[in-house]
Amino acid sequence: MSLLKLTDVAMVYGGRVTALEHVNLTVEKGDWLAIMGPSGSGKTTLMNIIGCMDKHTAGQVVLDGIDLNEVTKNELTQIRRDKIGMVFQQFHLIPYLTAVENLMVAQYYHSIPDRKEAMAALERVGLADRADHLPSELSGGEQQRVCIARALINYPVLILADEPTGNLDEKNEKLVMDLFRELNREGHTIITVTHSDKVGQAAKRIVIIEHGHLRDA
Amino acid sequence: MLMNLQRIKMYLTMVTNALLRRKLRMFIALLAVAIGATIISGMITVYKEVPEQMGREFRAYGANLLLLPAGGSTTIQEEKLQSVYQKLQGHEIVGSAPFLYERLKINESPILVGGTDFDMVKKVSPYWQINGAMPSGSGKELLLGYELAEKFQVKPGERIILALGDGSWESPFTVSGIVRTGGKEEQFAYMDLKQMQEIVSKPGVISMAQVSVVASAAELDAFTRQMAAEEPSIHPQTVKQIASSEQTVLGKLQALVLLVTVVVLLLTLVCVGTTMTEVVSERRREIGLKKALGADNRNIAAEFFGESCMLGLLGGILGTVCGYLFAQAVGTNVFGRSLQVSVPIAVMSVVLSIAVTAIATMLPVRTAVKVEPAIVMRGE
Amino acid sequence: MFWQMVKGAVLRQGRQLLFVALTVALGVSLATAMLNVMFDVGDKVNQELKAFGANITVTSKNASILKDIYGLDNASAPKEYLAESDIGKLKTIFWTNNIVAFSPHLAGNLKLDGGSEVAVSGTWFDHYMKLPTGEEFSTGEQYLKSWWQVEGAWPKETEPDSVLVGKTLAQKLNVKPGDSISYVKKDGTKAVFRIAGLVSGGGEEDDQIVAQLPAVQQALGLEGKIDSVNVSAMTTPENELARRAAANPKSLSLKEYEIWYCTSYVSSIAFQIEEVIANSVARPVRQIAESEGRILDKTQLLMLLITVLSLLSATMGVSNLVSANIMERSKELGLLKAIGATDRSVVILVLTEIFMAGLIGGVAGYVAGLGFAQIIGHAVFGSSIAINMLVIPILIVLLILMLLLGSLPAIRSLLGLHPAIVLHGR
Repeated sequence: MSLLKLTDVAMVYGGRVTALEHVNLTVEKGDWLAIMGPSGSGKTTLMNIIGCMDKHTAGQVVLDGIDLNEVTKNELTQIRRDKIGMVFQQFHLIPYLTAVENLMVAQYYHSIPDRKEAMAALERVGLADRADHLPSELSGGEQQRVCIARALINYPVLILADEPTGNLDEKNEKLVMDLFRELNREGHTIITVTHSDKVGQAAKRIVIIEHGHLRDA
Repeated sequence: MLMNLQRIKMYLTMVTNALLRRKLRMFIALLAVAIGATIISGMITVYKEVPEQMGREFRAYGANLLLLPAGGSTTIQEEKLQSVYQKLQGHEIVGSAPFLYERLKINESPILVGGTDFDMVKKVSPYWQINGAMPSGSGKELLLGYELAEKFQVKPGERIILALGDGSWESPFTVSGIVRTGGKEEQFAYMDLKQMQEIVSKPGVISMAQVSVVASAAELDAFTRQMAAEEPSIHPQTVKQIASSEQTVLGKLQALVLLVTVVVLLLTLVCVGTTMTEVVSERRREIGLKKALGADNRNIAAEFFGESCMLGLLGGILGTVCGYLFAQAVGTNVFGRSLQVSVPIAVMSVVLSIAVTAIATMLPVRTAVKVEPAIVMRGE
Repeated sequence: MFWQMVKGAVLRQGRQLLFVALTVALGVSLATAMLNVMFDVGDKVNQELKAFGANITVTSKNASILKDIYGLDNASAPKEYLAESDIGKLKTIFWTNNIVAFSPHLAGNLKLDGGSEVAVSGTWFDHYMKLPTGEEFSTGEQYLKSWWQVEGAWPKETEPDSVLVGKTLAQKLNVKPGDSISYVKKDGTKAVFRIAGLVSGGGEEDDQIVAQLPAVQQALGLEGKIDSVNVSAMTTPENELARRAAANPKSLSLKEYEIWYCTSYVSSIAFQIEEVIANSVARPVRQIAESEGRILDKTQLLMLLITVLSLLSATMGVSNLVSANIMERSKELGLLKAIGATDRSVVILVLTEIFMAGLIGGVAGYVAGLGFAQIIGHAVFGSSIAINMLVIPILIVLLILMLLLGSLPAIRSLLGLHPAIVLHGR
């Protein structure tokens, strides 16, 4: 069974603006998929649907054996919490919490905060020595690595990365991409949304989205 | 159990750090709450103290209670007054001036002379305007009413002859001063009570006593009824002109302070409300993020609730201290005495600031939790 | 360009600037109300203190002395009186507006039908009069004796034989409202008082019959004459000058005399009453006059402190809101810096906008505050609060303080702001 299967999915905002139409997509376990396309093509909308943050208006989405048509909004929150790990372009760390505390927040919403485990996750992204710094005291690359650690902390089945290197310089971009490659090698399923060719090329598979329609590269 | 402890610890970490590490914003919010608590504790203390403290000021109007002989007698035994004072326990007695009135002769014309305790007269009737000095009590001194002084053409320091009505005793007295009140007192002469009792051979006896006591008209009425039942030989009479008028004026003053308190409190409420709305709305992105991380509405609400309670507690304590200082300033400057710390008011103002802050936070949070987690994905 | 930007801000940020204006209006209205009430509270409380009764008594110059020389209680001794027709002149003195109420008195003893003698006092209860100046004025005991408890009704002037009977006396005579008491007049004829109500006031009225002045004048054969007038006047608290003047007005220098004469001290009002009423002595009732001054001073001080506190809280509150509002716009302002605006020009832009909004809010708040002061006046004192122009400059200073204080934290952080950080949206 595929990890994620979208069948004829459409998204219409406010009953008028069509963002997605007839989208079919299958992602297997251990896959690394890059979704590419110009601005306004519907990338983010697709991301929101896969990330369980928005509900599609037509078609079928099955994530890890769960049909998202069948679930309530509350259950959607729960699925997001359990199955998805997210990395954002703008990092989105809580500014008044330290790096390790930011990881513990994700644990807190999921189940039990565990400082040891959070430290291990930071160690993993090479930031153990920065654990007690506030986000404002970290560089962009460091912040993004904290985000990746946060995305991994609850053992998600799918890691969603929205333009993960969009705000980073070349050196940090390389660091982050190496990290993704390593994660994929270990068996993590990754979907990245990007319009950077370099980031796209790192993936195993690329799909292109244009005017709300999906096609293979 | 251990698991829960971990969760609570994390919850507290998030809540306290949201306050401690966002200094400027939270300082402003704290200020708003503290001002509110200052108003609550300071103004309510003042409001509560107005009748008591201003009541003391009103004692400048003189006696509000007269103790008259009753039951056929025309005099009161001095020692009986003690039992009256005991019954007035709980009310501050500003002063109690005993008077023994007798008709004596000054320069051969009959004059009503009152024997009294001049130290007490100063307290009970501070409005007596004395030209010269009050009799000291040691020498043979007399205080003359203004009309008498005009009639006899005497000035302070001069001597006059005081005699008993039947002529069996006479002695020269020095006029120590002349009193003006605009009332009946100007037609009388006054001397020390002890001397008077000796001269007329009525030791330990008085005709009446004027009492100035800090109590409301209703309390005085209740006291009058109690006295009538327990002490038939003394008839207490409320001076209605003083007692009920005092009530009217005090009532208005208190109403004024109350009205002002309510208005200022309302302003502060609006202030806290908008500040908290601001605090919540500028964190929409954070709410979205937390939701993307899997927080549900309850989590978000609980975190804001915790923050606001803590903010309310800190601001409440800070404000209560400031409010107490304000009440002290009013106490020492206006009433010339320090006001007492009221624990119930302090507790109330802290609890109230917590409640107000919590309510002011929860209203915007109700709309804020509707934030879609998707906002974190869109570029801005 | 500057004004275009300001205009743009007003249009686009309309909602936010409106919010600033509203906040300022709220604070200013509170300040306006408080300040106006504070400045007027003296007069208002003074009026309330009139509940304590008359503070000046006017008697005939020789009345009391004659009475004393011929023996204390000898009612038959020749006595000097004031003329009832002179009373209206009270309202012609310099301080006429400060005279709140007055009532004439004529006291004497009357023989009742049963043979017993009782004290009678004739007075006005609610007397309507036309003043020599053409004004109309109502006065009498009902305005002066707020503490009297009347069981039944106050006598009406249309019923000249209606009276109040003191409670103690009523018990002695065993009468109640509605009853009649017949008495013997000076000329031997008989007449009747009808009891409108029983009065209890804790003073000598408890042992008296309080009747209408004309009835008592007829009964005693003293038409057109009165013993005394009780006057209730609003006064300024006494000071050193007033005390010296009270002792002897002639001891003052010309300048001091003028100041004293033109200030509403109780002694100068009394002095002016003596000037207009022939053969009279006007004496301040010290018990009332001195105490009033003390209470007034304390009330004004109390009000001042409360006003200071509320102004402080209004200033803090408003500046707080203003700063919150500017903070919200930091992104837009950061953008201005990013495209090359100098710190100074950004600060001036912000201040212009805020002050424009503040000015509008301030004017609206002042108007609202005036209305608000009137609400307080009517709710607490039952009369309007006088509008004091002195409030306006104080308000202007406060307004500037509120806005500057409110803009300060925002400006500070604005100056420390790196455009790049703002645009990264943190």
